[in-house]
Amino acid sequence: MNLVFALIVGVLFGCGVLLLLKTDLFRVVVGLVLISNAASLTLMASGLSRGQAAILPAGESGEPVADPLVQALTLTALVIGFGVTALLLALSYSVYRTRHSVDLDVVSDEEAAEAAELEAREAALDSEHEPDEAEWQERRHDEVVP
Amino acid sequence: MSLVVLPLVVLWPAAIVASLLDGRKRRTGWFAVAALGAAFALLAVLLTRVAVDGPQEIVAGGWPVDVGIRLRVDALGAVFACVSVGVLAVSLAEAVITGIRTRGVPALTLFMGLGLTGLFLTGDIFNFYVFFELAMISAYALSSLGGGGSRVGPAFIFAIVNLVGSFLFLIAVGALYRATGTLEYIAVAEAAAPLDPSTALLIAISFFVAFGVKLGLFPFHFWLPAVYQSVSPPIAAMFSGALANIGAYGLLRFGGVVLPREVELGAPALIVIGALRTAYGALQAIARRDTREVLAYSSIGHAGYVLVALGVGGPVGLGAAVIFSIANALNKTLLFLASELRGRFVATAFLIGALSVAGVPPTAGFFGKAALFDAGIDADSAAAVILLFVGGALSFVYLFQIYQHDRWRPRAEREREMPTEHAGAGQRSVAVAVAVVVLVLGLWPEPLLAVGEQAAREILAVAGGG
Repeated sequence: MNLVFALIVGVLFGCGVLLLLKTDLFRVVVGLVLISNAASLTLMASGLSRGQAAILPAGESGEPVADPLVQALTLTALVIGFGVTALLLALSYSVYRTRHSVDLDVVSDEEAAEAAELEAREAALDSEHEPDEAEWQERRHDEVVP
Repeated sequence: MSLVVLPLVVLWPAAIVASLLDGRKRRTGWFAVAALGAAFALLAVLLTRVAVDGPQEIVAGGWPVDVGIRLRVDALGAVFACVSVGVLAVSLAEAVITGIRTRGVPALTLFMGLGLTGLFLTGDIFNFYVFFELAMISAYALSSLGGGGSRVGPAFIFAIVNLVGSFLFLIAVGALYRATGTLEYIAVAEAAAPLDPSTALLIAISFFVAFGVKLGLFPFHFWLPAVYQSVSPPIAAMFSGALANIGAYGLLRFGGVVLPREVELGAPALIVIGALRTAYGALQAIARRDTREVLAYSSIGHAGYVLVALGVGGPVGLGAAVIFSIANALNKTLLFLASELRGRFVATAFLIGALSVAGVPPTAGFFGKAALFDAGIDADSAAAVILLFVGGALSFVYLFQIYQHDRWRPRAEREREMPTEHAGAGQRSVAVAVAVVVLVLGLWPEPLLAVGEQAAREILAVAGGG
């Protein structure tokens, strides 16, 4: 049984990582969902035991009780994964809305181009005007007034 | 109601209420600041209680001890919670005075405060994970909102990289549960002691990698500068002054309390990684010109000291790690808050922050650095002492570079990069208030030192008893 779980988790995690390395944002999100499920399965597998439902008062019939903790943990992890997926999809959508693309390469190229443009504009402003002595005086005067 | 739950009881409803209100209105902002302030006051009371009476604990919901979720506060958790919530309150106050343009910011800050408080106060690893995710998800959302919306790319990468880290953490939790059959720090520490070192080491490495990815430790830090650059200064202050505390806390909690033997085994590796990281952070910081980028690399470098101190271990090393982390959180908050304001008082505040980072008395940073030197001497390691000295000298260089770049230039040039129209007396006084705290802790460091010592003693008591 352990081997089966290990194989499934390995395959899921591997596929997830493969998708994470793509530049398409939605593939990245799907990759993350796969990885989150791999983690949930690991949690499940870490305390898998056969037995009765663990409802208090437990173990009256003397039979072993299934470990309830891992199930609670997995449930919590699933909920968190769900919330995170929603957040990531919202983020991807806001990227799409501002850039009209969900390709990370395109988006980062655009952002880099914008940053370069901004810098060029600032450099132009810096070199355009060299203050003379009178202006310096005036500025020093300004400086005193907070 | 027990004092342990009160901060959570204050923050939780406040966060929900704030998320229903429009965060762009000042009233909502001040409401959130007030809630964080109240939580901070409660945590300060809790910290003094812990300092006097020792660790406090409570089992939620009145369940028997091993069934219910246990909240447990020791000096380590209390001091980190107190500082983080304080930093959040101050940064949010600054953001409110500056003017918040997106409606979610106050509510998200409250949720982040809630997550941080919860994770520092819990006694259970899974609970830690849940609160951790709460804090991190708020941080992802904040990083995408805080910059004004034009740069979603860094926020997306931040979220993806950190989520991979958190699923690794979850897998490590599963492995730890499999190996020890429990998830409470102290019980795990006891059960992990007789484990086969190869199993336990694997788990320890998974935790280390998970924290490393999430908190930008050395080989996994590439997302960090972009994020700090793309958000506004108050939010960068929240990230580096409050959120980054999770890294130091996680290393101390999981390394110092839960898996101390594995840390001992890996101590040389920790010291090497820490040293590399310190050098790398400082050199990168010197090479940068943008203030926030410099500060981001400086944060990367400074977490290296914590690793070195953890590697040294013992009461001196662990105490040094705690004291340094606290001082560092305050320094970074101060520097980020003061970084884009102008005026004489703010320049002085920035200077105090710079001196504190370099470790010049009378600032809080001096005692952080002094404790680290002490740890280096205690470990009989000349290399560690030299590293600390060089690190301090380099931080002088890069901080004065940006000081010069930002403050000693013609007014017109500076004004373009640091517009003054928003910088009112309120913003300045927030930055100056943090500077005063840093100075006061430098002049009267006894509480800080005592807390560090107590935290180290408690960690070692658990590790020794296991």
